[in-house]
Amino acid sequence: MAIDTANIELWGDNIPWLCGLREKGRAAFKQYGWPNAKTEAWKYSYFNKKEFEALHIDNTPHHCDCNGHCHCHEKTATPFAAYGIKFCNGKLATEDFDLPAGVSVKPLVEALFGGEAKKYLNKSFDMAKFPFAALNTALIENGLMLVIERGTKLDLPIFIYYHQHAQAANLYNIRNLIIAEKGAKATVVEYYEGSAEQPYLQNVVNEVFIADSARLNHYIWNKEAKVARHIALNSVQIRQNGYYEAFVAQSECALCRHETYIELLQKGAAAEVNGVYRLSENGKSDITTNVCHLDEHTNSHQLVKGVADGSAKAVFQGKIHIAPNAQQCEGYQQHKALLLSDEAEIDAKPELEIFADDVQCAHGNTCGDLDAEQLFYMQARGINMAEARQILIKAHTDDALGKISNKNVQNWLLEKF
Amino acid sequence: MEKKLLEIKDLYAGVAESGKEIIKGLNLTINAGEVHALMGPNGAGKSTLAYLLAGKADYAATSGNVTFAGQNLLSLKPDERANAGLFLSMQYPVAIPGVSTNNFLKHAVNAKRKYMNLPELDAAEFLKLLRASAQELGVTTEMLKRELNVGFSGGEKKRMEMLQMQLLQPKLAILDETDSGLDIDALRIVAEGVNKLHTSENSLLIITHHLDLLNLIKPDAVHIYYDGHIVQSGGKELAEKLEQSGYKSFVEA
Ligand SMILES: Nc1ncnc2c1ncn2[C@@H]1O[C@H](COP(=O)(O)OP(=O)(O)OP(=O)(O)O)[C@@H](O)[C@H]1O
Ligand SMILES: [Mg+2]
Repeated sequence: MAIDTANIELWGDNIPWLCGLREKGRAAFKQYGWPNAKTEAWKYSYFNKKEFEALHIDNTPHHCDCNGHCHCHEKTATPFAAYGIKFCNGKLATEDFDLPAGVSVKPLVEALFGGEAKKYLNKSFDMAKFPFAALNTALIENGLMLVIERGTKLDLPIFIYYHQHAQAANLYNIRNLIIAEKGAKATVVEYYEGSAEQPYLQNVVNEVFIADSARLNHYIWNKEAKVARHIALNSVQIRQNGYYEAFVAQSECALCRHETYIELLQKGAAAEVNGVYRLSENGKSDITTNVCHLDEHTNSHQLVKGVADGSAKAVFQGKIHIAPNAQQCEGYQQHKALLLSDEAEIDAKPELEIFADDVQCAHGNTCGDLDAEQLFYMQARGINMAEARQILIKAHTDDALGKISNKNVQNWLLEKF
Repeated sequence: MEKKLLEIKDLYAGVAESGKEIIKGLNLTINAGEVHALMGPNGAGKSTLAYLLAGKADYAATSGNVTFAGQNLLSLKPDERANAGLFLSMQYPVAIPGVSTNNFLKHAVNAKRKYMNLPELDAAEFLKLLRASAQELGVTTEMLKRELNVGFSGGEKKRMEMLQMQLLQPKLAILDETDSGLDIDALRIVAEGVNKLHTSENSLLIITHHLDLLNLIKPDAVHIYYDGHIVQSGGKELAEKLEQSGYKSFVEA
């Protein structure tokens, strides 16, 4: 059956507030209209509506469609010491979370049922501006509510593994709420891995709330199946002296759009949004950021490094907004890309929107080929051209990975990305 | 019996893009086991010759030919030339940000081993090999961890070139002003490196402006190079004459 968000039966449709929220999501999605070449925020990364309409929603309660052949209930193997959680084809597969005191993780349905989720859902962004987050809200059901309780300092990262392997053009709709309470410190890793040969769409919304003096490291690797699409909104609110360190690594797929929307709400709030993309065939990557400095003494730093080869297309849209009252802020943004073929394309749209006068802001954008002198030097030492290029490309992307403060995560990506 | 290692015949060459001629009728033969010195004024085309031999795409030959170890050198790619045993210690070594010196050297050593059908060295084996050579050349472990040539002083860069020469054991090493800008200790280190590489099989072409290095290594031949070709060849006495009376005496002669 083709997609029809109004006729999908979801868990909890009998809960009035939830049903109402979904209805609002549907309305906002419809109101926005299907993004196309004329939609400013989506002009580089829209896709065909017919392909969207051909998607299926698997709203059955079972965890995945692999008839008992998959290992989705087995304990998640993590690439380094971590607390593992697994989603299998869009559904939570982990039953036993095995987390230390001070951390609570619940399937989203449980937090919807208990009502704890209500306080946070749709509180960090305006659906009218984010069509796929509106769609996500219309279909809200799968996901997690993760709370790092007051003062808790988590010893190991929480590693959330999303495995897409069903041979179906499904729409996977994930909504996570991540809450770092006052003084809490934690690292959350999200690893999206797809092996399907069907053009599924992964539609993710993370709402992140960082309380006073809390710190969250949030690392995301989008490694979806080549034919798949991945659209995500990371919407983040940071309070006094809170710190958010984000990193997004984008592997190649039909479309991978990762959007970060951050509100630095109070004095001392700071965020880092770094990332890397590497495209070599015909995929598309979009990293979009919008960092809003809404109070004085708030800081943000962004470094995104990318590579586009073949006939791939990459987009970086980065915006820094500084409100009139937000004096003495620092906002820095850098995008550096390697454009390795004539058919590849990179679009960069840096934007500074500054309404305060006593601030330090800068953005930089470079785009170019590999350095011929460096390539020759390596060849003169016996290294062939193909290998020399790979060494330089890796050096380029490794530079961004160097920003990851958690060494285990950094080493994992240095080796595998 | 003399075995020709490098033979340059009637070579004309210049800038590939503009066609500007820089090398004009050069003839030079270096036999296996010989050390040759090439001296010439600034802008004579010494580095151009070195780059052309190493295969830098900016330069191209218009006529003449170059044979190296029995092969038509100019038909080979730069990496093939290196693996065939040609090494160029560059006048201006290139910095490669983001690539550690260690890692770079390992790639270079293993490229050569692959070419020779030898198994690649793993990290531990490579480190052992590297440590021995690095120590002799006064290259510290700290330097090896740094990004290649990034922020290295002039002398440190030259030591790094010598370290690479030692690791790669070329048949022919071309040293393009490796002795320029070196302190006395470093100069001695370079001379030792040259003398160590110099066997009955391995040869060197030393491009230099100074007598100091030549006093330490005893060249078999000295060539005076002017305006793209060799105007006179002889022994070390040519270098001494040059030191005293400059290039004028050779050009007018
Ligand atoms: N890519 C190039 N384009 C244009 N001119 C060039 C290029 N490379 C070299 N030249 C010119 O060719 C001439 C020879 O340069 P080269 O560097 O070979 O001299 P050199 O003998 O090594 O001098 P030095 O002793 O100063 O190192 C110079 O006039 C130089 O400006
Ligand atoms: Mg020169």
